[in-house]
This record gives sequence, C-alpha cells and structure tokens, in this order.
Amino acid sequence: MSKPTDLVQGTLDLLILKTISLEPKHGWAIAKRIQQVSREALQIQQGSLYPALHRLEQQGWIKAQWAETETGRQAKFYSLTRAGRNQLDEELASWNRLSKAINLVVREA
Amino acid sequence: MRLWKKLRLRLRTLFRRNSVDRELDAELQFHIEEQIAENRAAGLSNEEARYAALRTVGGITQFREECRDMRRVNYIDDLLRDLRYAGRNLRRSPGFATLAVLIMALGIGANTAVFSVVNTVLLKPLSFRDPDRIVTLSDFLSTGQSPTALSKQVSIPDFQDWHDQSSSFEAMAYYSSREEATIANGAAEFARRTPVSPEFFRVFGVEPIVGRPFTAEEMKRGSGGAAMISYAFWQSHFGGDPRVLGQTIRAPGPRPIAGVLPPGFRFPSNTDVWVSAVGPPGSRGGQNWLAISRLKASVTLEQAQAEMSTIARRLEQQYPESNKGRSVAVTRMRDEMIGNVRFTLYLLLGAVSVVLLIACANTATLLLGKATARTREVAVRAALGASRHRILKQLVTESLLLAFIAGASGLLLAYLGSKALVALAPADLPRLAEIGVDRWVLAFTLGISLITSLLFGVVPALYASKVDLSDALKQGATRLVGGGGMMRMRGVLVVAEIALAVVLLCSAGLLIKSFVALQNVALGFRPENVLVMRATVTAPHPFGLNPTRQFFKDMLSRASSIPGVLAAGATMTPPGNVDSTGAYMIGPLPANPDWTRSPFVVTSIVAPGTFAALGIPLKSGRDFTDNDVMDRPFVAIVNEALVGKSMANQDPIGQTIHCTFDSLNGMTIIGVVGDVHQRGPERESMPECYMPYGQHAFNGPALNMVVRTAGDPNALAETLRRLARERSSDVPMKFTTMEAILSENVAAPRFRTLLFTVFAGLAVSLAMAGVYGVMAYAVGQRSNEIGLRIALGARMGSVLRLILGQGLALTGVGLALGLAAAVVGTRLLKSMLFRVQPNDPVVYLAVAILLGIVALVASYLPARRASKIDPLTAIRQE
Repeated sequence: MSKPTDLVQGTLDLLILKTISLEPKHGWAIAKRIQQVSREALQIQQGSLYPALHRLEQQGWIKAQWAETETGRQAKFYSLTRAGRNQLDEELASWNRLSKAINLVVREA
Repeated sequence: MRLWKKLRLRLRTLFRRNSVDRELDAELQFHIEEQIAENRAAGLSNEEARYAALRTVGGITQFREECRDMRRVNYIDDLLRDLRYAGRNLRRSPGFATLAVLIMALGIGANTAVFSVVNTVLLKPLSFRDPDRIVTLSDFLSTGQSPTALSKQVSIPDFQDWHDQSSSFEAMAYYSSREEATIANGAAEFARRTPVSPEFFRVFGVEPIVGRPFTAEEMKRGSGGAAMISYAFWQSHFGGDPRVLGQTIRAPGPRPIAGVLPPGFRFPSNTDVWVSAVGPPGSRGGQNWLAISRLKASVTLEQAQAEMSTIARRLEQQYPESNKGRSVAVTRMRDEMIGNVRFTLYLLLGAVSVVLLIACANTATLLLGKATARTREVAVRAALGASRHRILKQLVTESLLLAFIAGASGLLLAYLGSKALVALAPADLPRLAEIGVDRWVLAFTLGISLITSLLFGVVPALYASKVDLSDALKQGATRLVGGGGMMRMRGVLVVAEIALAVVLLCSAGLLIKSFVALQNVALGFRPENVLVMRATVTAPHPFGLNPTRQFFKDMLSRASSIPGVLAAGATMTPPGNVDSTGAYMIGPLPANPDWTRSPFVVTSIVAPGTFAALGIPLKSGRDFTDNDVMDRPFVAIVNEALVGKSMANQDPIGQTIHCTFDSLNGMTIIGVVGDVHQRGPERESMPECYMPYGQHAFNGPALNMVVRTAGDPNALAETLRRLARERSSDVPMKFTTMEAILSENVAAPRFRTLLFTVFAGLAVSLAMAGVYGVMAYAVGQRSNEIGLRIALGARMGSVLRLILGQGLALTGVGLALGLAAAVVGTRLLKSMLFRVQPNDPVVYLAVAILLGIVALVASYLPARRASKIDPLTAIRQE
C-alpha cells in the first residue's frame, strides 16, 4: 500500500484537483476515485485527504457545498473554482515537465 | 476578491467555530458510514464492519485539529483561548489579581503622568509653523557670566543694525511683555500687553483670523499705533463680536483694534493684547527688549550665529562706549524655553521609572508565589500533551492581560495625576496649560504595559513551566517543587527592590534637607503679614508723574491710618523678583564712562515707609520722605552688599552714586539698608540701589503697595480696594501676600522635592510589601521545619529571631547595595541641592534607620505567625 507521504510533494493536491475537475465530488468519492483510477496503487488516507481539502478550500482553489448523494444522503461536495482551474492547469503543466524529465533520466541513464 | 473570500472563510472558522466543527463532524461521519457500507459489502458482519471503519479513521480529535490547523486560525484561536483562560484564572484569585493590578497601575500611572509632562514640555513640537527655525537673539557679555535673565535683553538701535546687516533670517522682531492696566469695553483690569516690532507675526507665521495685519502707517514710530487681540480676549471681552474691529482699547494709550489672532496663539506668556511698538527707540544702552527671528530655510543655526558674531564685533568697534564686550547668542527658541527644566524633568522620569521597576519586581515575586501554587495545574497540562512552549505562551498571556488591565487603570490614575502635577508645578514651567493625555501618552502607556508584562512575567513563567512531571504529580509534593530556586529568585528580586527604594529614599532625603535649608534662609526682610496690592494708575498722560504719584501718596496716607496697619509703603518690585538691573559708579562721573566695566546693581523705586513695611532694617542714615521730589536734590538708599563692594572702608552716607536707570543724575546716598535675597532664598543678595518714587518717572504708573498688618493681611484687601475705587474707577488692582510671592520663588524646588518624596514613599511601600511577601512565603515553606523545632523545644523567641533574622539579612544586603548605588546616583542631584552635599551622612544614616525599622515591621508579622505554629498540625500536614 502506498502511503500519501510516498507521493511526490504536492502531488496529492494535483490528484484532488484533477479528480474533481469533471464534476463535484465528496471526500469519500474523491478517495475512491483516485484508488480506482490508479488501479488500487494509490490509497488516500482520510488523515491526509480532509486536511488537504480544507487547505485547498482555504486557498480558494476549491469550494464546498452540501448536497444530496445518489443514495439520498447529505454530503459535502467539493468543486473547482476558477482560480482552482488555473491552478490545476499550472500543476498539470509542471507535473508533465517533471515526469517527462524523470522519464528521460530513468531511461537514458 | 479572492482575498476577501479567504478572509471570510477564516473569520467563519474563527467565530462560527461550532458550526464549522459540526460540519467537519458530519463530513467525517459520512465518510465512516460509507466505509462501513463498503466493509459490509465485502462480507463483514455489522459489528466487524464498524470496528474496521473506525480503525482506519484513527483519532478523530487529532484529525479535527489538523483540519483546523489547515485553516490557519489556531494561533488566533489559541490566543483567544489563553485570554479566556487567563481571565478565568485571575477571577479565581481576586486577591492576587487586585493586588497585582493595583501595584502595576500605580507604577504605570505614575510613569504615564510624568511622561505626559515630559511629552508636552520637552517632546511635542511648538505649535508654530516650522518651530525649529524660530530662534532667539540674546545679548551676552563676552567678559563674563550675566547675573540675571534681564541682561539677555537687547536695545532697539542694536537690533536695527542686526536687522539691516544680517541675511540669515526670513523675519526678525523684538518685543517686550508685561502686565499692564488695560481698559477694554469699559472694564479696567490687568492684561498682558506686548509691544511688537513690524515683523513679529511673520516670525511665527500667524495672521489675524478677523481683521487685517498692522499697516506700515500703524507701525511707524511716533504714530498712534494699533492693537491686535488674542482669540481668548476677543471671546471674553467682546463676546466674539466681529464689530470689535476699529473699537478702541486703552493699553495704556488708546489704540484701534486691527485684528484678532487665531486661537492658541498667545506668545509670549499668554499675551492678551499686542500693540505696535511705536515709542522712541531709546539708546544703545537701553536693553529693554527681547529679540526673536525666523531662520531662512537654507541657513543653519551655526551659520546664523557666525554672521551675528561678526556683526556684533563690528558694532563693538563702531560704538565702543556702549557695546564693548557685548555679543549676540543665537539659540533655538525651544532650547531657550526648556533649557532649565529639561534636566529636572528627565530626572523625575528616571525616578518614577525606578518606581516602575520596583513594581515589576514586586509583581514578579507575587507571580513566583503563584507559580508554586500552580505547579500541579501546569504539570497536569504538560502531562496531557501541552508543550513547554505552549505553557509558556499561556503564562505570558496571563501577564499580558494583567499588564493591560493595570495599564488601563494606570491611565485613569495618570489622567488624575497629570492634573495634580499641573496644579503643583511651578507656574513658569513652559507650556503648562497644554499638559494632558494625548495619543503619544497613550502609546507610551501601551508600550510600558507591554514591556512591564515581559519584565514581571517572563521569569516566573520560565520557573513555572519547568516542571518535573513525576515529582509534581505525586500527591502532596507541591511544596518541594521548585522550592529552592524559586525562593532564591524571590530573594534576589526583593534585594533589588530594597536597593532601588534606598536610592530613591536617599535622593528624597537630600532634597528634603535642602528644601528645609532653603526655607530657613534669613531673607533679610519679614514676609509674614504683608499684603501686596499691585495697581496701575492709567493717567491721561501715560508718563505724567503727578497724578499717579498723587494716587499712591493718598492711598499710603489713608492706609497708614487704618486700625491694624503697622506700616505701609510702595515698591516697583517686591522682594523675590528683579525687575530692573543696571550698572553703577560711585563718585563724580568720568568724561567717557565705561559702564560695561562697572558693577551690576539691582535698581528699584520705592515710596517712603517701604522699608518699615517690608521689615528691611535701616542700618544707617534716613528713609525717604514725601519731600524727596523732582525739584529737590536727588537721593538714593543703597544696601550693605553695595557698600561692601564699593565703599568698604568709607562712610557711604553723603557719597554720590550714578545708576544706568532713567536718568544719569548723580544721587546722594542718604541711607544704608540690610541685604535682601532679591531673587529668592537660593541665590545670593546683589548690590541694590533704591530711589524715591517722587524723583523717577520710570515704571511711572505701576507700583506695588506693601502693607504690614497686625492680623491676617488678606482681610485688608477689601478696604484698600474700596479706598482705591473712591479715587478712580479705572485703576486695576491685584492682591497677593508677600508669603505667596515667596512661595512662588521656591515652587520649583518644592515641586521636585514633593515628587521625589512621593516616589520614594511608593518605592518603600512596594519594597516592604515585597519583604513581607517573601517572609510570609518562607514561613509557609518552612512551617514543617519550624513545627519540628518547636516540638523539639525551641522557644518562641528563638523562632521569632530566626525569621526576623532572615528578613533583616535580606534588608541588610539590599540596604548596602542601595547605599552604594545612592552614593553614585545622587551626584546627579548636585545642581539641585542647596547647602547640602550629595553624600550627606546624616541623610544616609536616617535612610538606613528608617528602612531598618520598616523592614523589621514587615518581617515581624510573618515571624509572629511562625512562632505561633502548632507543631502537631505542622507535622501532621506532611
């Protein structure tokens, strides 16, 4: 199991922003979605997820809203703000640069 | 926009804490339930699913804190919580809180009050435009020190040359100011009148708010002139009516009012009426004016001084007979105004800050005592995971709260205190009326509250937060924890308090002894039971002698016949002040007299009977009579100081004396009187020449009647007022007593002596409270041991001795340190001491004895309690 601390610094933010960029999701769904898409490689602990969500909200990149789930329960849904979308673009770009660079080094060396 | 959103979020987290927490709980709850549902779907039983879910979530509380941390409000939140906690704590021990606040409020209040005076007098810029460019030009003798302030004055011909030859100044003016009879809107009274030269108002950059400046015609010599009135005078005498313009004011000659100056402008010394100086310029020797100028923006003080020195040297060569040895000093007005009081005020500020230090030490010992009592509380908090840093922060917050409450109460004390200071301060303290609490004073209070909270709070907090957990949590171990170190620390603080208090006490002792010496100076006259009536006769011709002299002659003869009046006279200047000085020569006048080489003399005009009324002894010869008038030979009476200086081995009676007064007529000396301390008891007598009021026109219309009575002199005032009114309705009068004038003379030493005494009293009380606190604490700590001693047969006396000895040992160390510091520190007072040396052994001994007695009393109470300890109870407590 991969712990979030194993993630490259700041990657959790990117994962969260990317995950909610299509549609608003609540915390549980965000964690599940990351787990699913990464084919269980990334397990996001609640202990990191929620503080990260609060931090992102504090920075004005995401906003939260209470809404009903498909099962008819109240949950807190997070969605991107305009600033958050810009931030996502920036982080994606820098992630691409970084991963490309790492790939280069890993393959060539 | 984003900033605002962030701020709103943070404020929401801060102030709607409950709803935010509830939301967080709901969010986590949802998460857990989803987890449970998943676990169940994976085939676990309800119970197992729930357990597994909770296990993955971990510590909810810690988790919640983390989320809150992410919202970055914890530090504010902590502060608020600490403040609430501190408030609860203080409320829980109201005795301690009240005492600590009281001590610190006294310290902070006294400091703020003194600072409010320092702030106004020394720090606040003068309320003129570019006040730093206003300078005074004063005459000084390059040959030696001038004996009176009067000799700074300048003459109009000299000023005119300075004005025409210099280029350093934007505007230059001269003025002189005195209380004069003034008739405005039908009422005759004394008002301060200041004749000014043309550029006077430009020096200060003021213009009339109603009316217009003086015209060139009104400033011309020999013209009728015009008057300008102060805003206050306009309000009080004309009800602020703009139709005041063009009305005539008599001050003393009639002048049309040209304008009203803006509120707040009263220079010099609360002037009511400014008139254009249109009188004759007088001679180069007629130094009756003060000069003031505004420096050009591009010119420094040093450049101006250099230019003026050059001009003065030129004048010296051009007019050697009048200007030889004389030069000009250029001084910033501010320095000129506050030169005398700066040192006194800083010294007072120093003294009062010592009181604050003692108050801090005192509060620190109180907090140390409290720290011991709180060992367990702190230990419990530490055990629950509070870091030392966090506990320190909490304890310092408590000191901060204490200091701010004390600061607020201190401000109230300071407000009352500064009013008291203004009432007590000598009337010639510059800008006395402006003293009050302004934003600088508020900032000062805030600042010292902060600083003191650190001073008294940090050491106890360090001690309190350094807790050995296992020891502290053991039942009944409170007593031992931190005992030794803390006790030593308190001892050190108390010794410091005593030492500081001793320094203040020695200073106060020296000043008191000096003040007593001042009061005991033989003044050369008898001030008790003398009424002084100042009156000015506004005759139709201001310099016509007859009507004015007639008025006083009538008044004196009527006053002498009133029952209870022992003697009556009149003088230009009652003793205690000097109004006029000059130079004198004995014998026939040489062809080209060099007055600058002649000795100084105080000159004064008196009526017959004045010496008897004031109680100045006539040593030889005769007093003046009503026959000493203009058409009779000119006569004079001199004092013994003058005889000693110039006629030591001759008979002064019959000699001729010349004085630079209103005329250079030779006067025959007809009598010698005893010396009077003309400038107050502090300063030596100067040679003085008295002249009869029938032979001199100078100071014509204004004289001070002095009347010696058998009973209370004040009772006579109404009778005299009625007698004067019978003669004239427009003679303004002012009554005082000789004793009141003298009391003004020693106002400055009285002020500083009183303040030092108050500060020393505060210091000693605080230090003794410290001794008491430490001894009481020590007795509490040692009650087992003492109980054991008593149980083993120690006598009550020996227990008393044990504790008293400890208290006196502390006092002894403090006393020794304090006396040593006082020997060094009191040297600062040297210039303020009169006939007392800074290392006066009597004062030091008295301080030592006084402090010993007080310390004995302060340690006796705890010692008595110790000797009454019931050994059974004390030992059982263990």
